[in-house]
Amino acid sequence: MEKDSNQSRGIFSDISEINLREQLLVPDPHYLEGYMKMKAFTPARLGLWRCGPRYKTQSILRFRADHAAAQDSVFSYVSPDLIKEMRFIAIQTKCCSKDEYLTRPDLGRRFSKEYEEKIKRHITNRPKIQLVIGDGLSSAAIEANIKEIIPSIKQGLNYYGLDCAQHIFVKYCRVGVMDQVGELTNADVVCMLIGERPGLATAQSMSAYIAYKPTMGMPEMRRTVVSNIHAQGIPPVEAGAYISELLYKMLNYKKSGLDLKAAENRN
Amino acid sequence: MERAVLSVGIDIGTSTTQLIISRLTIQNKASLFSVPDIVISKKEIIYQSDIIFTPLLRGYQIDYNGIAQFVRKQYMKAGISKQSIGVGAVIITGETARKENADRVIETLSQDAGDFVVATAGPDLEGILAAKGSGAGNYSFDRKVPIINLDIGGGTTNLAALDGDQVLDTACFDIGGRLIKVDPETLQISYLAPKIQQLVHQLNLDLSEGTVLKSAEGLNPIIDVLVQVLENSIGIGEKSDFFDLFITNHHFTQLDAGQIRSVSFSGGVAECMRHADDAQPFAYGDIGLLLGSRLRHSKIEQYKDVLPAQETIRATVIGAGAYSITVSGSTISYTKDALPVRNLPIIKLTIEKQDPNAPEFTDQLKNRMDIFHTDGERSNVAIYITGLKSPTFHQLQHCARQIVSGAHELLAHHLPLIVITEDDIAKALGHQLAHDLPPGYPYICIDKIKANHGDYVDIGAPVPGTTVLPVSVKTLLFN
Repeated sequence: MEKDSNQSRGIFSDISEINLREQLLVPDPHYLEGYMKMKAFTPARLGLWRCGPRYKTQSILRFRADHAAAQDSVFSYVSPDLIKEMRFIAIQTKCCSKDEYLTRPDLGRRFSKEYEEKIKRHITNRPKIQLVIGDGLSSAAIEANIKEIIPSIKQGLNYYGLDCAQHIFVKYCRVGVMDQVGELTNADVVCMLIGERPGLATAQSMSAYIAYKPTMGMPEMRRTVVSNIHAQGIPPVEAGAYISELLYKMLNYKKSGLDLKAAENRN
Repeated sequence: MERAVLSVGIDIGTSTTQLIISRLTIQNKASLFSVPDIVISKKEIIYQSDIIFTPLLRGYQIDYNGIAQFVRKQYMKAGISKQSIGVGAVIITGETARKENADRVIETLSQDAGDFVVATAGPDLEGILAAKGSGAGNYSFDRKVPIINLDIGGGTTNLAALDGDQVLDTACFDIGGRLIKVDPETLQISYLAPKIQQLVHQLNLDLSEGTVLKSAEGLNPIIDVLVQVLENSIGIGEKSDFFDLFITNHHFTQLDAGQIRSVSFSGGVAECMRHADDAQPFAYGDIGLLLGSRLRHSKIEQYKDVLPAQETIRATVIGAGAYSITVSGSTISYTKDALPVRNLPIIKLTIEKQDPNAPEFTDQLKNRMDIFHTDGERSNVAIYITGLKSPTFHQLQHCARQIVSGAHELLAHHLPLIVITEDDIAKALGHQLAHDLPPGYPYICIDKIKANHGDYVDIGAPVPGTTVLPVSVKTLLFN
């Protein structure tokens, strides 16, 4: 109610609540319908109008708000409550702070001895499938999607007669650390769900990197990637179902990445 | 990845029957790093048949053998075997759809013409396919402007208003070139369609079957009315007293046709519109040329932007051959034993997931399915669900449970469960359905399909080398 009355006075409590695709700032457009249709095709900021040679105040504020949201998702942490609720095994890389994480990508790809031991202690059964959840460059992406995608992956695996049990959560995570997880757990397939570098369109986009028996130093072409997982992209629930099929195929073909594509095309 | 599929289109119309074969290219448009997005990326027409007069028996039946022979001969001429035809559609149009064996003819022909050739009929679908086949759909898509196409055939005029790939509305009138047949030599009238007879009566004209005309001008009062009704149909001019008389099923009701500036014509009469005025008016033994020439000078030319159609007389058959089949989304789930499905009526349900107090749709589903329960026979239906855009896992589970419990009757008769969604969610929903159904129960769950209540659907076996199923959403209406 309060928001409504604020809006009617032209005041917004949060400028990023405006749906940009439905907002056109061009006064008296020649062909409003066509303009709106064009805007519906893209998240790009079309039709912002101008004041002299500059953007209007509203556009600048919105740009800054979206940029701030993107930065926040990099610098914030996945809530410890969520990690607890999902019963993740909490691990972190060699990084000790966000600053170190951003400036030293190499440290984000390796665990310290202490955490290596923790993984080995918890995962002892050489799982067929090991899920790893990493904050990556967007904690917001993990918070938005993880509760929907994991049950969907599990449901899909159930369909293929498979399962996955204990999931690892990695703080200060880079994609390459999944290779070390592979070596430590002896899992057949490692699937990492990691927050994507946020953009101005969304800060909630997540990717899945999946590899068959990954090893440290392996070529990147052995990774299969599913990107753009978020409510406006590939819905997390549907992505989970698709990922479960990929996991099933990798176990069948004993391959991932470009090798898997090639093997599939041969059949 | 690129695959080619041959598609046949067969149009059995009021006056003519024709066939085309097109090559559809199916391609994954997504990058290597994304979920596949498999679409029909190209449509090329590789063979066009001769146009023959629709073979009829005693005027009220379609000569099935005549048509089957025509199809065989055209396949031979095209150098294509029946086995290599992957998909396609047979459409029965205009007055021919009213013949007493129309339903059986297209059903048999669709089985005979190739693997996954679907049977279609209905004035609205006809108008849509003609508009797409004529090129009006591409024009609208490229220019981002809405367009109305009038497909004027022998017996009916089928209108469709398109905006890109979206259908805005359809309409149909009993106006066509062969409503009156006239001997080109003797100028004797050999046939007056029933609605023309009514018009003649109400206008107090001295015309009947057998009348010998002094000149083509004797038909002017009739042609004037037909042209006025067509002008009215797209929002031009004062409404004719006979407007309602010529409506087949309905006029445009979803839109104000006067607002749409772009118009195109297809069908046999559109071909006639290209002829010079001084041509022998009854060269084809009917009023097609008269109607065409009068349309060329009608108010439509003054009030609208009339675009030259790329295809005229072949628009409908091209529509059937190239535009009646789509593909499902790329991430779907099904059991092979449930395929193919043919001519299933669609039940549409919308999920209000934002509203926690929304009524369960289990009962809705049960009620709607009861309509298809006749004489103790239970026939299958396709359950079409909208409103599932990026649901939570909990909402998805809930939805699957409601479907399975609402479809209890189908399960009791061991009919495969067919679920179609508008939004990209079919693989997850399918996995959930498989979990909730008895082990091994046959089902299909596909997505990214647009359909409406009252439509019918056909779903074929997967396109080789892809993960998609060919789908045809259509109508099956015989008058």
